[in-house]
Amino acid sequence: MNPVDFQAIAPELILIVAGCVLVLADAFVPRWRGTFGALTAAAAMIAVAARWMGPLPGAVFSDALNIDALARFVDSYVLLAVILVAVLAGPYLTRTGAQVGEFYALLLWAAVGAMVLGSSDHLLTVFVGLELLSICLYVLNAFHRGSLVSLEAGFKYLVVGAFASALLLFGIALVFGATGSFLLPSAGGALAARPVFGDPVLLAGLALIVAGASFKLAVVPFHAWAPDVYQGSPTPVTAFLSVVPKGVMLVLLARVVVHLAPHAATTHWVSLIAILAVLSQTLGNLVAIAQQDIKRMLAYSGIAHMGYALVGLAAYRPGAPAGGEGLTGVLVYLAAYTVMNVAAFAVVSAFSEGEEEQHLIADLAGQGWQRPVLAAVLAIAMFSLAGIPPTVGFIAKFMVFRAAVGQGLTWLAVIGVLNSFISAFFYLRVVFLLYMKPLPKRPPAFTDPWPTRLAAGACAFAVLAFGILPSWLVTAAETAARVFGR
Amino acid sequence: MLDHALLSAIIFTPGAVALALVFTPRRAETLSRVAGLLASLVTLALALLAWSRFDGANPDFQLVEVRTWLPTLGITYRLGVDGIALVLVLLTAFLQPLVFIATWSTIHDKVKGYITAMLLLESGILGAFLATDLFLFYIFWEVMLIPMYLIIGVWGGERRIYAAVKFVLFTLSGSVLMLVAILVLGWHLHGVTGTWSFAYEDFLHSPLPLGSGFWGNPQLLAFAAFALAFAIKVPVFPLHTWLPDAHVEAPTGGSIVLAGVLLKLGTFGLLRFGKPLFPTAWEQATPLFIALAVIGVVYGSLVAWAQRDIKKLVAYSSVAHMGFIVLGLFAGGVAATQGALLQMINHGLSTGALFMLVGVIYDRRHTRLIEDFGGLAKVMPLYTGAFMIATLSAIGLPGLNGFVGEFLILTGSWSTHPVAVAIAASGVVLGAIYMLSLVEKVFWNALTNPDNAHLADMTPREILAFAPLAVMMVWIGVHPATFLALSEAAVRRIIGG
Repeated sequence: MNPVDFQAIAPELILIVAGCVLVLADAFVPRWRGTFGALTAAAAMIAVAARWMGPLPGAVFSDALNIDALARFVDSYVLLAVILVAVLAGPYLTRTGAQVGEFYALLLWAAVGAMVLGSSDHLLTVFVGLELLSICLYVLNAFHRGSLVSLEAGFKYLVVGAFASALLLFGIALVFGATGSFLLPSAGGALAARPVFGDPVLLAGLALIVAGASFKLAVVPFHAWAPDVYQGSPTPVTAFLSVVPKGVMLVLLARVVVHLAPHAATTHWVSLIAILAVLSQTLGNLVAIAQQDIKRMLAYSGIAHMGYALVGLAAYRPGAPAGGEGLTGVLVYLAAYTVMNVAAFAVVSAFSEGEEEQHLIADLAGQGWQRPVLAAVLAIAMFSLAGIPPTVGFIAKFMVFRAAVGQGLTWLAVIGVLNSFISAFFYLRVVFLLYMKPLPKRPPAFTDPWPTRLAAGACAFAVLAFGILPSWLVTAAETAARVFGR
Repeated sequence: MLDHALLSAIIFTPGAVALALVFTPRRAETLSRVAGLLASLVTLALALLAWSRFDGANPDFQLVEVRTWLPTLGITYRLGVDGIALVLVLLTAFLQPLVFIATWSTIHDKVKGYITAMLLLESGILGAFLATDLFLFYIFWEVMLIPMYLIIGVWGGERRIYAAVKFVLFTLSGSVLMLVAILVLGWHLHGVTGTWSFAYEDFLHSPLPLGSGFWGNPQLLAFAAFALAFAIKVPVFPLHTWLPDAHVEAPTGGSIVLAGVLLKLGTFGLLRFGKPLFPTAWEQATPLFIALAVIGVVYGSLVAWAQRDIKKLVAYSSVAHMGFIVLGLFAGGVAATQGALLQMINHGLSTGALFMLVGVIYDRRHTRLIEDFGGLAKVMPLYTGAFMIATLSAIGLPGLNGFVGEFLILTGSWSTHPVAVAIAASGVVLGAIYMLSLVEKVFWNALTNPDNAHLADMTPREILAFAPLAVMMVWIGVHPATFLALSEAAVRRIIGG
């Protein structure tokens, strides 16, 4: 353990300390509460800056963490989500009477958990990161203590989350039993030296890890919790929940695929991931069509989007150059999904009169001409989620489908684009309501405070900017994906 | 200097003005209208400048612009214009100012949004004609969807929502598979050359491999994906069902652009990508497309004949006219292909004019049913004259533009597909029947409906919007060589003749 190790985890340390400061400030100087959102965003920005300016030494703390280009990519989008959610949460929490330091502290600590989970090859560190992330989220989901739906969301996420953690932990134990190592590269090395094709213990371990991760990703058939939790959680938390845990879990899954799959069950692996991808896309999109509540619709849309992202993972082949086209696609997909989904939730957080109310899609009628900025952001987010250029959503789909076609999985790409076609139906319905329906007789009393517009506008800008000039994002993802191939 | 950015300037002038309009006050309606008109006039001027710089004898892409865009994937921002693209760009740039003039005061609601959507649509269309990178082409192809969806859905008629959703879903269902086909092409080229590129010209020399049957034949499958996207846009029978709804429900300006230019993207796509990229599959699919084209000609004409709504009649006549164009494209040969290209322009002019004129009468009477009219020639002589010119152009009267295009297509296809030509020629007769009977019922019969007794004739603004179309109809009818000469070299390169 040397000073370089601590320098490498400076961003994590900054966030942990900032979280503690916020909790203390809440207790001792409660009149500062109005600035907590800004402080949280500032802490996250400093952490991002520290990550980009600091060293990338690779493995630190005896291989417990890998601070490399991949970690930088993952941290960047986790913290981007934190910044956006912190900005959004200010007016939202003030309106719902929950403007307290713990919220922001939990948000920052959850981010640390996600960053640790995303940047480790060591399965035990992964588990610790996951638990930190999950426990913070259990509390955040139920943050509206007075609201039954919020409590229900927190409880559901707790039960399902604990179950998923248990599956994952059991899977880790079995993989350790089969390979003798918690470290994914050396576990893979052990397998390479001693071929164990079809070893039931290893296969069971892999299957359990995939199942545990699938719960967190909310891919079919492990998705049932998502709509209720999305609907009940405070909207800024839903925004965080919909992008961060899913993103880092995909990275973990990618690590497992890269290190273990070449030596155990490669072909089965492809079909397993492909089946999950197809089921998630199809079921998510079809059920989303029937939703009346926009948060539930976005939950099903999220299920479908993880299906698209999995296509990139299914298209991974060992030995492919640059860590595989598919892994690049997955990373681009995560970044794209973050900005477009947070954009959507930012607008949803403004378009609700109270947290007890349902967030009916029908309430959006006529808002396009009433609140042009937020409506335009929501429309852009919908087009991006539907994968219509020139948005980043299209670039992301292009990347994963490109990888699939390159690996002879053209059928998977065809199913993917047909699903995009289905999804256009419900995404465009939102646009239709915004612009083509008249305002109702009694227009809903929505508020659109400037921080919400700022966060939403920034997301929409990113959606279009990365959609029109994707070069920087793609290059960053390629650099990060190359780490996998190490 | 200008030459190196001229095509970009043509594409992005409307789009840039549209973006600037977003930041203007909502109430400044006249400002939006003037800005829209000026933007489209500047675009037209730039297109004419490109024409003056264009060398018709050179079959290659000219005024080429290449910029790096996504270098690791071999995707470039690559523009170029050949004779085929040039005439269509000229048509697009020519029609847009007329659309703004024709609908100057007919859109009252959300004027700024309407002008913005129209300009974005124009940018998308021009981009699709000028892109010479498949990825870039696909982006522009899809970008057009959103403004058109809004134009139909926000400013359209009673059943606008249904029409807008149907339009989007039809178009999208075709184009998503084209994306997969583009990816397949990209990987194939990577396999052949070892480098990444989506540049159109790089694909010309390495067609996809052939296989057996349909599912085992990569070239045929990829062609099917492209052809489906284009056939829906054209639209080729039986994929045409979105068209009458979209045309009828769209506001007049939307109908003009839709019929005048948007449909041409389908036939342009077939011409640009069909034979050059998929030579064998093109040959294999020819009988199918010839048959569908001929069916479209006859079916479209018959259904148009049966319509009671003038706008719907014109919409179905589009199905028939586009059938002619598809026939010319697949019949092969320089004459038929040139005729098809010229007919794309002609259809843009004549159908654009007809939709514009239907808009004129709709603004006055708020009905488009044929039975509500009769004897209009007595009260609206100018309007009657204008409608006659457009009708005669549409049915191919010698001396006007439509004749030249149809004649070239039919004579050019005769040697290879005599039966198809014989059946399609009946479409010419049917076209004359339904259009002239429309004219008779609306303009010549007795003026029985008192509502029609005091209709105002065309205003100077409406005449200003129509007159350039009439001039072009005569120009092409008398001296088609102006435009045929532009595209001949490029067509020869594609046909290989």
